[in-house]
Amino acid sequence: MSDGYRVLFDTLEPGSRRESSLPELDGKPAPWESSMQATCECLSWRGALDNLERREAEDELGETIYLDFPVRARSAVVTAHALLDLGIIDQEELRSKMEAVRERFERE
Amino acid sequence: MSQTHDHHAPIQESGEISEFEILETAVRELAIEKGLFSAEDHRRFSEWAESVGPAGGSRLVAKAWTDPEFKARLLADGTETCKEVGIDWRDPTGSGTPSDYTYFYVLENTPTVHNVIVCTLCSCYPRPVLGMSPDWYRTPNYRRRLVRWPREVLAEFGLHMPPEVEVRVHDSNQKSRFMVMPMRPEGTEGWTEEQLAAIVTRDTMIGVALPQVDWTASEPPSKVGA
Repeated sequence: MSDGYRVLFDTLEPGSRRESSLPELDGKPAPWESSMQATCECLSWRGALDNLERREAEDELGETIYLDFPVRARSAVVTAHALLDLGIIDQEELRSKMEAVRERFERE
Repeated sequence: MSQTHDHHAPIQESGEISEFEILETAVRELAIEKGLFSAEDHRRFSEWAESVGPAGGSRLVAKAWTDPEFKARLLADGTETCKEVGIDWRDPTGSGTPSDYTYFYVLENTPTVHNVIVCTLCSCYPRPVLGMSPDWYRTPNYRRRLVRWPREVLAEFGLHMPPEVEVRVHDSNQKSRFMVMPMRPEGTEGWTEEQLAAIVTRDTMIGVALPQVDWTASEPPSKVGA
């Protein structure tokens, strides 16, 4: 696995990287977590990113490069990292897409 | 039927959008745009995952009760033996959810040992065999207290374990998922696997209840038993 991608550090608000931003004791997964899981399943199902490899990457990267991110966010962060590693997406694409999604979600 | 929704309590929205919701959406949309999978794939998987219930676990227990060799295999290697009833923890097109893939252990209750499962860290749960976890399983109340005062918590579910029975609490985690195999109750001699599976309810496989010959979760309590 490569080093951490700047896009994942730059585009997420600094406060969100603290473990406390997603309190573990809330327990119940947020809807986006279920959606992320379905994304992981589909990526594995269709042969783009094997689940077991991703899970191992989550362990490896979650304990090192992305240690500051909440455990519950590991699938999202590491899947993005893996797709960047594989060259399927690039950092600028992800940055632009996140900006577009943020704008869409925050539109009044 | 009323056409208004006045009787519903309004959903409280925090108004805050998680940073990771934005990341998740971006990754999903890029993957779809790149043709890695389709939006329909994603919707179908979500629909299926949310519909998985405890029937798979019930089948495992009922089969183990009637087939000693299967039971031995299930206790020795839960992950592998699940495949015999069509549950593959690693195959997303089967009945397993691979993101839950870990090692799956079946814990056998005996006259002297009662097992119960929890996830003290978050809400890890054997979803491929039991479906989505109940709300109470994810509460801090259950998660924090079960490991410290298991008999007290079980009693709150109406399960009073005699002092001579050892209560073992198993803490699930990212690598290990557990399910309880309750003891087969008396009065079920000659029952078919289907009959037996009906009384192996979700809570009996978490360990907060025992199977009863007159109780199945498929009917309202008011219509079953006294």
